[in-house]
Amino acid sequence: MARPAGPRAAGAGRDPALRVTVALLWALLALFVLYPLVSLLARVFVDGGRMAPGAALAVLGDTNQLRAFGNSLLLAMLVGLAGTALGFLFALTATRAGLGRGWLAAIDAVILLPLISPPFTTAIAMIFSFGPRGLITYQLLGIKGFPVYGMGTTFFSETLTYFPIAYLTLRPVLAAIDANVEDMALSLGASRGQVFRTVTVPLAIPGLANAFLLLFAASLADFATPLILAGNSFPVLPTQAYLQITGLFDLRGGAVLSFALLVPAFGVYLLQRYWVSRRYYVTVSGKAGARTSVKTVAPWLRPILVTGCAAVAITIAYFYALLLYASLVVALGANHAWTWRHYHVIFTDGARAIRDTLIIAGLSMPLGGFYGVLVGYLVARKRFAGRQAMEVVSMLNYALPGTIVGIAYLIAFNDPPIALTGGALIIVACYVFRYSPTGIRATIAQLQQIDPSIEEASLGLGASTATTFRRVTLPLIVPAFFAGLGVVFIRSMTAISATIFLVSINWTLITVRILENMTELALGPAAAFSVLVVAIVYVVIAAISRLLRSFHAPGSASLGSVLGG
Amino acid sequence: MRGAGVSAGATGVRVEGLSKRFHHRVKGDVWAVRGVSLSVQPGEFLTLLGPSGCGKTTTLRMIAGFESPDEGRVWIGDRDVTALMANRRDIGFVFQSYALFPHLTVFDNVAYGLRIRGVERGEAARRVSEVLAMVGLERYEGQQPHQLSGGEQQRVALARAIVIRPRVLLFDEPLSNLDAKLRVQMRDEIRRLQKELSITAVYVTHDQEEAMAVSDRIAVMNHGVVAQEGRAEDLYHRPASAFVAQFIGRVNLLRGRVVERGDGVVVVEAAGARVRVAAGTAPPVGQVVRLAIRPEAVDIGPDAPGTAGGIGGRVVARTFLGEKVDYQVRAGDDLLLVTRPDPGPGALLAEGGAVRLRLAADRVALLPATE
Repeated sequence: MARPAGPRAAGAGRDPALRVTVALLWALLALFVLYPLVSLLARVFVDGGRMAPGAALAVLGDTNQLRAFGNSLLLAMLVGLAGTALGFLFALTATRAGLGRGWLAAIDAVILLPLISPPFTTAIAMIFSFGPRGLITYQLLGIKGFPVYGMGTTFFSETLTYFPIAYLTLRPVLAAIDANVEDMALSLGASRGQVFRTVTVPLAIPGLANAFLLLFAASLADFATPLILAGNSFPVLPTQAYLQITGLFDLRGGAVLSFALLVPAFGVYLLQRYWVSRRYYVTVSGKAGARTSVKTVAPWLRPILVTGCAAVAITIAYFYALLLYASLVVALGANHAWTWRHYHVIFTDGARAIRDTLIIAGLSMPLGGFYGVLVGYLVARKRFAGRQAMEVVSMLNYALPGTIVGIAYLIAFNDPPIALTGGALIIVACYVFRYSPTGIRATIAQLQQIDPSIEEASLGLGASTATTFRRVTLPLIVPAFFAGLGVVFIRSMTAISATIFLVSINWTLITVRILENMTELALGPAAAFSVLVVAIVYVVIAAISRLLRSFHAPGSASLGSVLGG
Repeated sequence: MRGAGVSAGATGVRVEGLSKRFHHRVKGDVWAVRGVSLSVQPGEFLTLLGPSGCGKTTTLRMIAGFESPDEGRVWIGDRDVTALMANRRDIGFVFQSYALFPHLTVFDNVAYGLRIRGVERGEAARRVSEVLAMVGLERYEGQQPHQLSGGEQQRVALARAIVIRPRVLLFDEPLSNLDAKLRVQMRDEIRRLQKELSITAVYVTHDQEEAMAVSDRIAVMNHGVVAQEGRAEDLYHRPASAFVAQFIGRVNLLRGRVVERGDGVVVVEAAGARVRVAAGTAPPVGQVVRLAIRPEAVDIGPDAPGTAGGIGGRVVARTFLGEKVDYQVRAGDDLLLVTRPDPGPGALLAEGGAVRLRLAADRVALLPATE
């Protein structure tokens, strides 16, 4: 946890500016984090001013919903296991197979794709490949009626979508294992396999647990992939909640279902915060020994690891290439004549969605970036009452599944006193408070690495507190600011699970339009929209990464690494 | 010899023509080690001493099997182990960073090598307790590495290395992360254990005092080659090069010219005086040479009227250090450091005073003028 330190850890009482800022932040957190959550709980448990948990239990008692709950947990478990295994394979290959920089960069580039795309991109490519007119099942193999909808494909698609998170979590864990420790085990007579089993894996276990929990949570919250791929035979909670609200106009039923999601999600959060985070093995020694090459991967194992990674990377690359191809032909699977038609459609009919999305992302980005740095700075460097509570509350919307946040916002802001639904503000607020925690964490991490004595040195040289902040602290946290900015932008362009409940006739989003296109079987425009989103995000990421590289701050977060979780 | 860690008959270590190239981003391929040949007798303690980047650690890591040489061979005992991985060489290694397994307790750390070797549980437990007692860590079995101080961690690392009764113990700057007082204590302990167990040891350090304190023999390395090899006192009194002379202890290097050769003795004109030097193979008259003179080998006294011979000079600076006193003396164009034991109250030579320096012929080493 962040520990306030140094000269700036002054009491709030003596600093009126700090007091006002903290009060303002608490007001915002109360309005956009706590109030919606309380509203959701009230809707679930209170009826006509009285506690009435019976109605909630009735919805959950429904066998269909019970099945959805079980399905959600099963799917999350499987995605967690498979995704962690894949992530470990990639992390092991990246840190131990002795690949050149070029290969590592190639792996990273491909792995980044699912992270910066709308979460259902793989699902769409799955339909293109294995659907009724699928390129592989129908065109290539001539199979009719391949069962593309169901648990298997949903699982496959979610695993490919989310395993990069496990990779980003595990790679630094494996890289941080002191190579001397493995050398030591080797010198004590252990074989490569024994070193791997008795040293490498035990040291990676907290990372593995963390990766599993992240993937479990991501799958549990994923709404779009099951909506496209799960079909009727495999209902899961987030889609059931969505259908309850949009199909049956049963806000309360949706609230209850999303609440059911909250229980395992909260469990995961607690496990991460109080179990995993305490089990990371810190490097015991101060100074690392001589640089050494890692030898635990036997030469014969390398080609196997590399082949495994290459197969996955090629699958991902194929899916994205297919998406691009589908956006450029008349109708994939039926008419493969080149056309710009779909792009024409999205830039005319879809122009509104593009404009709205860019405006909302453009607004959320600076607000979220600034908010993230502000909260991170206060939590890491200032001492005031409720500091830890602020950190926890600021992370809540991020830790909760999007479906819960979306439904909570819908319930909280649909009616007076605070009626915001239908406008852009509610979407912007949702993004800012849901996706800034990455920036908060990056800022805290950055500040923890900066010795407070650097700031003391500036004060000692006669600079005022304000000057010190402007000339010393601010430049040092600029990388965290840009990392936070980037994440808010990416998520604003690609997110759907929360905001699908918040769009309106006046304000809509590209991701929502893609889902609409998918249900209307307008696959071409859906592909074109997806390509557009990936292209925009890629350009912005490249620009921000370039900016980040120009700051040589110590331990500055790379955008890729903060996307992980 | 009883109990844990006693090696089953000490074995020697031999390396021959060992070379290792590394790729450097700016300089391209560089030789970290070039043609190093060394021989360590069974039960002997050899130290590789040198500045950072001299190739000592790379040499040690090649003996351990952590690096494979580009050229040359490694023998442990009469077995050529060049092609063997570290886990087949039967060595004990102690890292500068301790490299304790952070997820294992002290007991499990020390027992690791025994488990790998399939030593029976009770026997393993007995041997672990025995070595922990040897390094003074009884009752630490249940501790986690991060709960220990640096010195305790290094003791665990040491216990872990000796419990497997390795044929050779390898140390890579094991004391560099410890504070000065603990360093002295630990080096004595390492030496005691090595003698007690009569294990062959190869030890790497950049600290000349540490090297002299623990070793039977020292190999001074520089730029990837062995500059000189021998007992500490030989290296100190008979350095083969200015590098060795300067790396071990303090030394005055004076440039001079041979003016006379006699039987086993030459006379060199240096510092404005004629200095007699004992020399086995004497260079020809007229040859430019360098003289290496240890500060404590110089006798210094006031230049009273009537004294003659030796080198005349003037005290430029005086530093009183308690048990000894350092004088900086200007003699001709040279500045000499002279150190004497504390002469007692009121007997220090004054700064600015004229002095006369005297040298015994066998305490001056003759070095080539250039290297």
